Amino acid sequence: MNFSSKLIEDSVNAFASLPGIGKKTALRLTLHLLSMPPEISEGLCEPVLKMRKEIQFCATCNNISDTVVCSICSNTARDQSVICVVESIRDIMAIENTNQYRGLFHVLGGVISPIEGVGPGDLNIESLMDRVKAGTSKEIIMAISPTIDGDTTIFYLSKQLEAFDVKVTTLARGISFGGELEYADELTLGRSIAARRLYEE
Amino acid sequence: MQLKALTLTNFKNYESQTLEFSTKVNGLVGKNGTGKTNLLDAIYYLCMCKSYFGMPDSAIARHEQDFFRSEGHFYKEEEEFKVVAKVRLRKKKELECNDVPYSKLSEHIGLLPVVVIAPDDTRLATEGSEHRRRFANEILSQLDREYLKHLIHYNKVLAQRNAALKKMAAEGRHDDALLEVYETQLLPGAIYIYEKRQQLMQDFLPIFTKTYAAISEEREVVTCAYKSALHNKSMEQLFAESRTKDKFLQRTTTGIHRDDLVFSVNEKPVRRFASQGQLKSFILALKLAQFELFRQEKGSSPILLLDDIFDKLDESRVEQLIQLLSKDTFGQVFITDAHKHRLAELLAQANLDHKMFLVDDGKVEILD
Ligand SMILES: [Zn+2]
Repeated sequence: MNFSSKLIEDSVNAFASLPGIGKKTALRLTLHLLSMPPEISEGLCEPVLKMRKEIQFCATCNNISDTVVCSICSNTARDQSVICVVESIRDIMAIENTNQYRGLFHVLGGVISPIEGVGPGDLNIESLMDRVKAGTSKEIIMAISPTIDGDTTIFYLSKQLEAFDVKVTTLARGISFGGELEYADELTLGRSIAARRLYEE
Repeated sequence: MQLKALTLTNFKNYESQTLEFSTKVNGLVGKNGTGKTNLLDAIYYLCMCKSYFGMPDSAIARHEQDFFRSEGHFYKEEEEFKVVAKVRLRKKKELECNDVPYSKLSEHIGLLPVVVIAPDDTRLATEGSEHRRRFANEILSQLDREYLKHLIHYNKVLAQRNAALKKMAAEGRHDDALLEVYETQLLPGAIYIYEKRQQLMQDFLPIFTKTYAAISEEREVVTCAYKSALHNKSMEQLFAESRTKDKFLQRTTTGIHRDDLVFSVNEKPVRRFASQGQLKSFILALKLAQFELFRQEKGSSPILLLDDIFDKLDESRVEQLIQLLSKDTFGQVFITDAHKHRLAELLAQANLDHKMFLVDDGKVEILD
């Protein structure tokens, strides 16, 4: 695309750097903002900037948070004896949407995959062990996608947890959640949490 | 199993081509480099979801094209199987059977059994063990879907364990717990694959020795034995014993990925002691035994792809092979040859029902 303005070009390239947005859509968005009063553009950029600058990761579970400890961890009405271990923040959102789960979470930040350069030391495993060591946990739910690397991760964690008096469970596998929690519909995901079972190698 | 029609789009040097085949012998003739072998590979691709010659998908797509397609109409008795491979580069490979896409390509393997005989098959005897493992895998994955699933899983976990060993060495911190996890994940596949390979060699050996005797004029004794560390020790034991060595070498030094087949003539290794003639007969017998095993196990003849057999086989063996093809145990056969008339004459002499195609730079015409 050829632009007569470097400013327009930069804006188009900025939009187009986002996932799912091509050059044409980026141009449309840019021209749309241009046709609107400047406040509209400010209203768009300010929350994004503020979000990026001020967002924190919960000191306990690594969930996104506006405060040091996230709203889930600080909610005393939730069951403090259960921790649901997930790969990413998006999995928390998916599980929260089911309204079926009242325990706590722990975000690993991925799965073990040395090919991708991710070893156990690159994930939030130590902080999980610290939480379990504190002694309030009775059950750890592994809500990790049933891939080979997911299996490796669950198995590795379960070995680390053997030293503690906690029950390790996994989501019911008979119920397919399409490989990734994110894509599961709320009903099936809710069911597979309710029907979780004891983890066996 | 017969392939009645093939349609190619952007497959190697074929921009757009539809061919209707004889259900018996199909001769593909033309100068070298004009695309005869590509036609065989397109057929193989529909059976095995990949190139026989190890060509990556990006190299199969015609020059400057980002997709290719191969469509085959196969018949098993009266039943039709329309198989379509659609490959867009950098996208997930798609394969359909009767318009239903497979969720996993491995589910397709074995539906259309195929055997290839190609000039560089001699590698089986002369080069590294990976060629012989590939031979065994190619047979077993077409006979047993579980085998292929286990093999894919095993190879993925193995790659992760090797990467873990490298990462640990680079970081100077060894995590035995993670290595153990990988070993446990490798275990069921290793055991399954080991047992199936052992069973295969039991079934294969008598067919192979009989085939060799039929095509060789001499009376030498040939064998093909399965060599595996698992003969003497359990996989758990092997992993435990090798861990120190694995850490040092930064790769997994034991397992079914180190298995081999030992080929011998008169109790001596083929690689070093067989004559050129014995070597050629040996390789041909391996492939024909693969064909016979498929025929027995599947209850029908697999498709046979013969690439440039005149190149590596001497004339007497080619004639012998053509004679064999006239037996009713053979089904549909595809043969390539660089000489326009040699093949047609041999087929006519053997009184074989056939159709001839002249291949010229991505264009094919039927010869009468
Ligand atoms: Zn939290």
